[in-house]
Amino acid sequence: MRKSLWGLLILFSIFTLFACGSSSNEQSFDSSKVARMSQEEVEQVIEAFIMAEDSSTIQIPEGFFELNTQLILDNKNSVKIKGAGMDKTVLSFKNLKSGGEGVKIVGNNITVEDLSIEDAPGDGIKAQHTDGITFRRINVTWTNGDKSKNGTYAIYPVQCKNVMIDECIASHSKDAGIYVGQSENIIVKNSLAFGNVAGIEIENSDNAEVFGNTARENSGGIFVFNLPGLPKSDGKGTKIYDNDVIDNNHKNFATGNGEGPNGNTITMIPPGSGIVLLAAKEVEIFNNRIHNNKTTGVAIASYQITGFPAEAPNWSPYTKNIYVHDNSYERKPLSMPDLTRELGQLISVHNAYGPGKTQDIIYDGIWDEEISETIESNPMRVCIQEAGIENLHFTRFYLMGGEDKIESFKDYQLFQNCKVDVATDVSEIAAL
Amino acid sequence: MVDMKKMNWKPGICSALLAAAILISCQKSQEKAASESKTLLEEIANGAFPYKRLSTYGFFKGDLNALDPVDLVILYKPASSLFTDYALKSRYVSIPEGQKAQIVDDKIEFPIGSVLIKNFYYPTDFRKLEGERRIIETRLLIHEEKGWEAYPYLWNEEQSEALLKVVGAETEVKFIDYSGKDQVINYIVPNKNQCKSCHNQDEILAPIGVKIQHLNNELDYGSVKENQLAHWSTLNLLEGFKGADSYHSMVNYEDETQSLSDRAMAYLDINCSHCHSDEGPASTSGLFLTYDQTDPLKIGINKTPVAAGKGAGTFTFDIVPGKPDESILTHRMKSVEVGVSMPELGRTTVHKEGVELIREWILSLK
Repeated sequence: MRKSLWGLLILFSIFTLFACGSSSNEQSFDSSKVARMSQEEVEQVIEAFIMAEDSSTIQIPEGFFELNTQLILDNKNSVKIKGAGMDKTVLSFKNLKSGGEGVKIVGNNITVEDLSIEDAPGDGIKAQHTDGITFRRINVTWTNGDKSKNGTYAIYPVQCKNVMIDECIASHSKDAGIYVGQSENIIVKNSLAFGNVAGIEIENSDNAEVFGNTARENSGGIFVFNLPGLPKSDGKGTKIYDNDVIDNNHKNFATGNGEGPNGNTITMIPPGSGIVLLAAKEVEIFNNRIHNNKTTGVAIASYQITGFPAEAPNWSPYTKNIYVHDNSYERKPLSMPDLTRELGQLISVHNAYGPGKTQDIIYDGIWDEEISETIESNPMRVCIQEAGIENLHFTRFYLMGGEDKIESFKDYQLFQNCKVDVATDVSEIAAL
Repeated sequence: MVDMKKMNWKPGICSALLAAAILISCQKSQEKAASESKTLLEEIANGAFPYKRLSTYGFFKGDLNALDPVDLVILYKPASSLFTDYALKSRYVSIPEGQKAQIVDDKIEFPIGSVLIKNFYYPTDFRKLEGERRIIETRLLIHEEKGWEAYPYLWNEEQSEALLKVVGAETEVKFIDYSGKDQVINYIVPNKNQCKSCHNQDEILAPIGVKIQHLNNELDYGSVKENQLAHWSTLNLLEGFKGADSYHSMVNYEDETQSLSDRAMAYLDINCSHCHSDEGPASTSGLFLTYDQTDPLKIGINKTPVAAGKGAGTFTFDIVPGKPDESILTHRMKSVEVGVSMPELGRTTVHKEGVELIREWILSLK
């Protein structure tokens, strides 16, 4: 412990030289060049949402629409909301005076495509209780210089069934850019998430495939979480493949400047995280390029690591049945893991390769002692088969002895000789 | 199990650096939408709802702004009232002649054609409630064949008529409060579909105030003082009421003779539970605030937030027993920032008395 404290001190000294992390204000296009629409034209769009009939299309023309009220599509079937292109039709909620999100969708078989949504104070676009929701070529972002003013989620389907997110861009959200919560049957593909705290997050959801996406320059790239105490109590079955998970070293701005983590789990995520599993079940991660994430490429963690109460009905805090294989890893040169978050500090100080060493894969090593007395039998079935794993930085921690007895191991061999069949089936929604 | 919270590695240096960073906030220019008073053609009450003018419904006799109801339009008042920027409200129910509402499974079911009428107004001076007033809006919930529909009517400046305004509006309201201070409020009239953000049960539009627990209490009708549901029964407008003792009744949170916990739960129920219930849109949060909720986790005690974003402030749990100023619940009640403040709609000012009640209640929790 004493040795690690010295290590920490030295790390902090170096750290102050590098400031606290990178930040991005990149925009996909300049919306200030889009023509401003009149108040009458804006009210026409609001009315079109209110008066929408089943099986109709709400066509929103080219232009910059400054809204001071929410756009809500309420319990409609087979409605398409269509703009003139994500750099042509811009819905700005900078002047929204009340309401939790800019655009809210409820219904069945709804498509939203070819538009941009900017600066909603809460969430950008939310779909709830919707069976069949497609987001295609939409761009959801915030343009504030001070990112701590940004909204929570950019693209936010929750309690939905049959969710398709395709060729979308989500940036600068204070929590997750693309967040699918408490839903089932999900595809997130060919999309880009950057400058968010979390790029893409699948939470308390079943049967999801996340592929062909780029998650870059977020604090963390792609997350699979299960949080306690929710109506959809747990989730399982996620495949994450063919994604670029790159340079996710953005500072964590989920809390304001100078503020530490709060009760939102996202606030604890250390910048420099590639793919993070928390209380996740049945997840397969393969064929991804996981490059230049300064803290760790993959983190496999149980909910206990948050320090929050870890009991809830029909929910388990453990991450189990995980299969990580055939990914490409590159550690960011000349950098060291995050020190702004406790999890970053744990990795910085206690990893098995020496203070300040970036990791490719970490496993918190927290297991259910009712299943096995030791971890040697791999009781949570965490299976890792990576080519050249002997050259990767793999750390398994031992945290169950308390903070004075933290240990770390390079024993990837314990997890190497197994695989997990993760069954997902999204063929029904592939045509959405 | 390891307790990461106890690990003593606070990154002091970085915090200091971050604290030194300067926040730049932008003042938004505010656009005020003036209430419309354009002239519309006279309307005929042909039964094809919604009408464009409030007067067409014929709910009130004489000058419309006197809000003097005709015979079949009955005053009602829930025990506790939702806070809407200190607006006062008068509520009426209109049940089609010859028909009755019915109590089925402890719920009041209204016949097709019933209308709930809610007027929002501000006295010029809150110390003289019967004096001059300005009516801002009247919201109708009409029970149509396909279900309940919500229609907001915005009053004109002359206070002679209210017109249907589905896209919502914004208007500045000035009044003198109970303590004699001048107040200015930027009042927001919701757009039609925002109504359902609150009036929502399993994505079906539903009334909030006309539940048994809210109406199972005495109301002064001027000529008579009577239990509201008994009064409706006497008027032959309600069937199936088995007497006040057969049902729950919520307290008025303003009634200081009631227990603190009953008052707090009544406050949370009427202000929060329309969203924070099993059937409401905020079920996603796992926070359930109906008056009869007993599970500490569901009430928010030592419960971490889920999708609260900046609404969580610097805090960890929705409610920390004994510590109201470290609880997200009061933090969001005290805020007027969109994205932080709760409820999401209908409040642009802080309800000081409500915050004080919930603070006291959390302080009393162990």
